[in-house]
Amino acid sequence: MQAQLPGPWSPLLGRLTLDQIPYQVPILQWTFAGVVVIGLAVVFCVLYFRKAGYLWREWLTTVDHKKIGVMYIVVGLVMLFRGFVDGLMMRTQQVLANGPNAPGIMGAQHGFLPPYHFDQVYSAHGTIMILFAATPILTGFQNIVVPLQIGARDMAFPYMNALSLWLTTAGAALVMLSLFVGDFSAAGWVGLIPLTELPFSPGTGVDYWMWAIQISSVGTTLNAINMITTIVEMRAPGMSWFRLPVFSWTTLSSNIIALTAFPVLGVALALLGADRYLGAHFFTAGNGGNLMLYTNLFWIWGHPEVYFLILPVFGILSEVVPTFSEKPLFGYVTMVAATFAIAGISWLVWLHHFFTMGAGPDINGFFSVATMLVGIPTGVKVFNWAFTLYRGRIHFSVPMLWALFGLFLLLAGGLTGMMLALPAINYTVHDSVFLVAHFHCMVLLVVAAAFAGVTYWFPKLFGFKLDEGWGKAFFWVFTLGTVITFAAMFALGFEGETRRLDWTFDPAWKPMLIVEEFGIMLYVVSIVCFVIMLAVSIRDRAKTRLAQPWPTARTLEWLTHTPVPFYNFAVTPQVNMRDELAWRREHGLDQAKPDRYEAIHMPSNSALPVIIGALAGVWGFAMIWRIWWLAGLSLAGIIVCVIIRSFDKNEGYYLQPEEIEAMETNLAIGAIIAEQPDRSHSSIPAEAH
Amino acid sequence: MRLKPHLTLPPLLALAACSTGDYRLFHPMNMVATQEWHATLVDVVVMLLIIVPVLLAVGIFIWRYRKGANGAYDPHWSHNTVLEFLVWGIPFLVVAGLGYYSVKTIYAVEPYNPGLTQAKAGPQNVLTVDVIATDWQWVFVYPQQHLATIDELVVPQGSVVRLRLTSTSVSNDIFVPQLVTMIAVMPGMRTMTTFDTPKLGDYTGFAADFSGAGFSWMQFATHIVTPDDFTAWAQKAAASPNQLSYAAFQKIAQPQVNEGAKVSYFSDPEPGLFEKVVAAAQAGVVYPVSDELSKSIGSNEHAKLVTPPGPNVK
Repeated sequence: MQAQLPGPWSPLLGRLTLDQIPYQVPILQWTFAGVVVIGLAVVFCVLYFRKAGYLWREWLTTVDHKKIGVMYIVVGLVMLFRGFVDGLMMRTQQVLANGPNAPGIMGAQHGFLPPYHFDQVYSAHGTIMILFAATPILTGFQNIVVPLQIGARDMAFPYMNALSLWLTTAGAALVMLSLFVGDFSAAGWVGLIPLTELPFSPGTGVDYWMWAIQISSVGTTLNAINMITTIVEMRAPGMSWFRLPVFSWTTLSSNIIALTAFPVLGVALALLGADRYLGAHFFTAGNGGNLMLYTNLFWIWGHPEVYFLILPVFGILSEVVPTFSEKPLFGYVTMVAATFAIAGISWLVWLHHFFTMGAGPDINGFFSVATMLVGIPTGVKVFNWAFTLYRGRIHFSVPMLWALFGLFLLLAGGLTGMMLALPAINYTVHDSVFLVAHFHCMVLLVVAAAFAGVTYWFPKLFGFKLDEGWGKAFFWVFTLGTVITFAAMFALGFEGETRRLDWTFDPAWKPMLIVEEFGIMLYVVSIVCFVIMLAVSIRDRAKTRLAQPWPTARTLEWLTHTPVPFYNFAVTPQVNMRDELAWRREHGLDQAKPDRYEAIHMPSNSALPVIIGALAGVWGFAMIWRIWWLAGLSLAGIIVCVIIRSFDKNEGYYLQPEEIEAMETNLAIGAIIAEQPDRSHSSIPAEAH
Repeated sequence: MRLKPHLTLPPLLALAACSTGDYRLFHPMNMVATQEWHATLVDVVVMLLIIVPVLLAVGIFIWRYRKGANGAYDPHWSHNTVLEFLVWGIPFLVVAGLGYYSVKTIYAVEPYNPGLTQAKAGPQNVLTVDVIATDWQWVFVYPQQHLATIDELVVPQGSVVRLRLTSTSVSNDIFVPQLVTMIAVMPGMRTMTTFDTPKLGDYTGFAADFSGAGFSWMQFATHIVTPDDFTAWAQKAAASPNQLSYAAFQKIAQPQVNEGAKVSYFSDPEPGLFEKVVAAAQAGVVYPVSDELSKSIGSNEHAKLVTPPGPNVK
């Protein structure tokens, strides 16, 4: 039943042997040393400042949507950095290994990375950036902002929210672990089929890729259920559908996509797993398998996934542009309609990812027109943002700069996307770096919106603003790097360069490869600016502490105190208008105090999500290395945790009105209340309510 | 500042690249590529008609309505029915126009393209070449000329070439810029592409879709020669002492890198070789790639492990 494997296997350690540790690769030696040093420094700081208990109580076991959101974003930023280093290595390799006589160093024939290493780097770059950087960062914003925007206390399922986070983190940890134990997949982030089948990828790389995605996508699916339920069920009184802020609308549509699309990916990867583990033939070229079935299934998830990422980005732009134009969003209703139009069309376009597979003109024609349809609602959005600027009073704060750059990227990506949507053009650039540059315009739009969001909502959580000067330096260097790198990449596409070349054999590409390398170096500088921005902001935090960081903000999340107390709103707000805060400000109601408080029901912390996440990581590791006893044990552990949770009678606790009043008084004089009172042992009995 | 001279480097390099005519896609060399390049231009111009005004409008708005300038400020303006019809209507019209144009052009450049075959050439001018991608070489079989090559595609000027494509191992994609547009090459399946050859010329074709560690080495020479030269070439190649039986082919199909894309010729390819390769892949025949081989390719250990490619008789 089990598939035939090359190489040794032992019952105790599975496929794991000592020579699977690539200690002889110099790049990994340095990386390992760096990870150890940073890891020890973090552990030392936590212990030295006696924060271990705080970390466990307030972060690792938290069910607070804001802290979960912050942790999502931290995981995402760490992975963004890792993915960037991969990108840097790819660009450097391609410029060094150009032309037939390119010299090689560090054991490579050309450049500094042999193909086997380079192929893992580009596969990891794609997997990480899409699934472990962009997805967690956007999920983090949704977690932080949506409950505040709709006037809710927390997510609908706070415990499941924590579980989603830790499953995603377990997946990310497996990707990182593949650096030091075994290899990562060398078959692309899409899992090129049948290259991912055992005869062509006999190592554990594909298994790392497969299980990391599988585990984290369970987290994403659970999060989608949570988001949809929260938005449908937990809006504050008075918040009718057409008063819902646009970011919450886009979160809703994006999570409907996630809920329907991620199970397809799960099935595709499970079938691939059956091929690799059980010797099945779902996707093999022979024995009745059908490799195009995998390609179809992957992109039936993969294309909606693109819109799963881009819709919340449109939401962020739709929050930032009105705030810094001091005007309501132009065409709110059409904006919402356009959002759902994009979400709907996202299901009808997957085949354009393989226009060149030899399908007939009728099939390609259908998918070409369907793809172009996306241009209509997207065009509507661009026009609406432009008209939001019209007759505004525009501040060029850092979030606004990112939003405007995002608009530019959207136009560049839209122009090239409409080119790729024509099969006649697509046939000439389908696998070229022109396509790579196109989708980088779109994913860098995600990055631009992410940094807009980071700068915009950072003070909401932490109470102080990020440094404006360094923020602008970061913005301009990053922007310049983006334009230079990807303008050169578009040019290389017209020069005929294709994707994923570890050795760029044509010397004619050299000038543009050098330009790309120059651009990517600017990204390195921009990261330095980002770190300085964080450091300077934290140093000067006392100076930038403001009750209202953005006096022109319009939506409900800015109505409560800054930084937000753990209970969000002392009294659930009554919503009267679409831009509630702008309306209250206009009518002098934004500072109004409630005359009385009511008890607030709060969820209790739980250690189970982080334990389940850790067990899921162990289970993934065991499956990758085929250590069956460990897989069985960790799975049993997960089941035991679920059973414990099912019998848990702890249904949270109540904050009493006098406690709230005291905390609100403290908040009004500038205190920060981020920590919950310790009620972990005094949960309310079930019959109390 | 010492940095300053270097800052001018990227734009200069960009200019240098422009002047050398390396932008191959700008210079299509046959009918199919010309139509595709034409479609590119049409699409870009139509899109710029909408994108340039939007960029200008955004630029004017952020300048005129910046805080501190004296642009009229209207804190409530957020709806205008006429404008909202326009913001839906303009993209709709553009997409309708481009959608119609897209479907029309697909038929003109359709890779299986019987239209091109009939319009451009009589039956005697159609050359069929079977292309088999292996890990990591290209085998070109000329059934009519009774010859086969590794990593060289030679075709006569003024003909229509029909490529039938398959792979022994993993999926790939064939691409000769300016001449043959990308089409997938898949094991156990047959795809086709067609191109015409109006001008003499030499090109480099290569693999465009990642196929494993030896992928970057998968180039092949492409020559469009005069019909007389083609005949002479075919006679020379068909005189090769190495015959391409299925057994010989199976040796070639073993995973190996052909460094420098050295050309080999074979005589008397086994009749029906292409069909046999497709059927074998469907029956589950694979040419496995071990991790040791993948790791050795392109590294210093390479020379030790790689078996030399087929006999070289150029």
